[in-house]
Amino acid sequence: MRRMRGVRLAAGLFALGIGLASCASDTQPGGDGGTSGAPAPSTVKVGLAYDIGGRGDQSFNDSAARGLDKAKSEFGVEVTELEAAQGETDAQKEDRLRQLAESGHNVIIAVGFAYEKALSAAAADYPEAKFAIIDSAAPEAANVANLTFAEHEGSFLVGVVAGLKSKTGNVGFIGGVNTPLIQKFEVGFEQGVKAVKPDATVQVKYLTQPPDFTGFNDPAKGTTAANGMLDAGADVIYPAAGGSGAGAFEAAKAKGAMGIGVDSDQYNLPALANVKDVIITSMVKNVDVAVYDFIKAVKDGQFKSGLQVYDLASGGVSFATSGGKIDDIVPQVEEYKEKIVSGEIQVKDTK
Amino acid sequence: MSGGLAVGQQTAPAARRSRLSPMTYALIALGALLVLSAVRVITGAGDLTSTGSVQAALTAAVPIAMAALAGLWAERAGVINIGLEGMMVLGTFGAGYAGYQWGPWAGVVFGLLLGVLGGLLHAVATVTFGVDHIISGVAINLLAPGAALFLSKQFFADAAGGGQKQSPRIQDAEKVSVPGLPDLLGSIEDKRWFFVSDLAGILRGLTTQVSLLTVLAAVLIAGSAFVLWKTPLGLRLRSCGEAPVAAESLGVNVYKYKYLAVTASGAFAGLGGAILAVTSGQFRDGQTGGRGFIGLAAMIFGNWRPGGLATGAGLFGYTDALALRGSLAVHALLLLLAIALVVVAVWQYREGAPVLSAVSAAIGVLFAWWYFTSDGIPPELVGAAPYVVTILVLALASQRLRAPRAVGEVYRRGEGK
Repeated sequence: MRRMRGVRLAAGLFALGIGLASCASDTQPGGDGGTSGAPAPSTVKVGLAYDIGGRGDQSFNDSAARGLDKAKSEFGVEVTELEAAQGETDAQKEDRLRQLAESGHNVIIAVGFAYEKALSAAAADYPEAKFAIIDSAAPEAANVANLTFAEHEGSFLVGVVAGLKSKTGNVGFIGGVNTPLIQKFEVGFEQGVKAVKPDATVQVKYLTQPPDFTGFNDPAKGTTAANGMLDAGADVIYPAAGGSGAGAFEAAKAKGAMGIGVDSDQYNLPALANVKDVIITSMVKNVDVAVYDFIKAVKDGQFKSGLQVYDLASGGVSFATSGGKIDDIVPQVEEYKEKIVSGEIQVKDTK
Repeated sequence: MSGGLAVGQQTAPAARRSRLSPMTYALIALGALLVLSAVRVITGAGDLTSTGSVQAALTAAVPIAMAALAGLWAERAGVINIGLEGMMVLGTFGAGYAGYQWGPWAGVVFGLLLGVLGGLLHAVATVTFGVDHIISGVAINLLAPGAALFLSKQFFADAAGGGQKQSPRIQDAEKVSVPGLPDLLGSIEDKRWFFVSDLAGILRGLTTQVSLLTVLAAVLIAGSAFVLWKTPLGLRLRSCGEAPVAAESLGVNVYKYKYLAVTASGAFAGLGGAILAVTSGQFRDGQTGGRGFIGLAAMIFGNWRPGGLATGAGLFGYTDALALRGSLAVHALLLLLAIALVVVAVWQYREGAPVLSAVSAAIGVLFAWWYFTSDGIPPELVGAAPYVVTILVLALASQRLRAPRAVGEVYRRGEGK
């Protein structure tokens, strides 16, 4: 009997744990009230599913949130936001998207390539809803828009900055997780550095290998990797590693080196205020523009399916000048930007 | 008290085996350093013994060592604590919550206290209610990240610089250097002399810009060794892990000691999480990344002893640091591992274990062949280096491991056979 009680307690703990975990990771959708069925065409109800990190990650997801907030205040659309949990499966992601579709959301945005498989499966069952996925060209369907960015072009420009600003001719790239998406940052960056300093050394380090995605979330590893590069002579570090980047900036600050931000204009982020001195520029990826444009397009009845690339020419990616640390070389960087836009320079996006 | 003493000695067969003397340990360390220097010279991978590597290794090793120490306390009292990871997560949240408001040391204390809560939960489940230790531990591993995430949304979402899954920045703890030494050692390290420079690099890494949290961890490991092996309290606690029924018959309150041990275990795990969060500069959801489990492995590799677990955590921290800092040193690690395996092969042969010796030698030759026929290790495998090295050492050293006899068994007062 005693033994039974123990087992029951353990079962209770399990249930509590699972319950807490799920209520912590999923905000309940707003429209639970059985409003299934086709919504009136004039109303737009937006559901947005974040990648790991969620609103408040000071980076990629926050950028998407800004676009959503802007659409909400301008068009007065109803929005629901759902968060992803660390280490979740594709099935959980798919459930999240289905949950949004079932509760009457007709505009559904999945933030991040991690939703690739989940979105392909979910979108097929809800042909009336319009889906968008950020950073992935893979799901192809009549109701799916693939919003991707030319990260390699933006990275080329910050590579030019790194090449011009480096005194040692040695720069470092830290990728969070070794995925094709992050490799786009790497190859663009390296090409940019070599464009201005052909004999420069570019050190490359990925913090983790998939399926271990903790590399986006481990500042301690960012610090260690950056210290290794700085000890080996680098004086500019470009971390494309989400939350781990903060650790790399700490290392750069302690050793008097320079850092380059990613995704947002990281010089202006409150969470990085203590290391902003080392952030000379940022590769800005305007996810907010893509999210806003998509909602606007659906609302105006202009939905387009398929691949939409936000590149340098369309202002989808750019480089930041906040802090005034690269004012002296902005004209040179702009020159390269013109060359990329005109097609004179082709930036590679794969190794 | 004399009754308690007898319990420990009678039921611990390991005591029969002659322990290595401190002199032997010093000789082994000297030999290892000589090999390390030789490999550094042969491969040109200066990172093997550089100040930066040693510093990074220390930083990486400390949270793992604290988790291992937490495991040691619990398992020595007979309770398996697989919930270390969850207790570490509670510690990271505690450090984030108190750390950004009142400074790093408040964060450390608060993280430790939350760890104690996790430990108490485990103690209530396993000691009072006799729940299977693994089930309770897994429950804590599920519960803690959920609770931490829930709390983080409550407290950090609206704080300046925070987010739903991360705390605002925490100030790092103070770092200290031994006065005068860094410059002197630094100049020797730069000479690149065989052995001398390597020794200087390692010493410089251990004496320059060392976080006070690292010092605290070292003190706690040494303190645990003293308390568990040199005091009556420690003896009684260990007797609960070896033969609880015998301890009970001699008047030891087994429940009390198990509670004490598991609560202390929670405290150390929470501290490990807190140190991780403070050195990372913030709390982040999912930050621990399996360090609790690695700590458990380090403790087993360390043969349930403080010195051993510190070595295990250090080994993991060192290879992890090398893997993150650059690829050249990881390539050199192949050669180092090959030499180490050959040494193990010779030693096992003399111990009368020809099969094990042959296996070690074969793997060693394989690594040597790999080193000499390649220019580097594919990046996909570099990240695996810490795990491969730890597993290899674990597998070859595990021949002499002995767990506390009654670990994992449910003990009920008065029901001894």
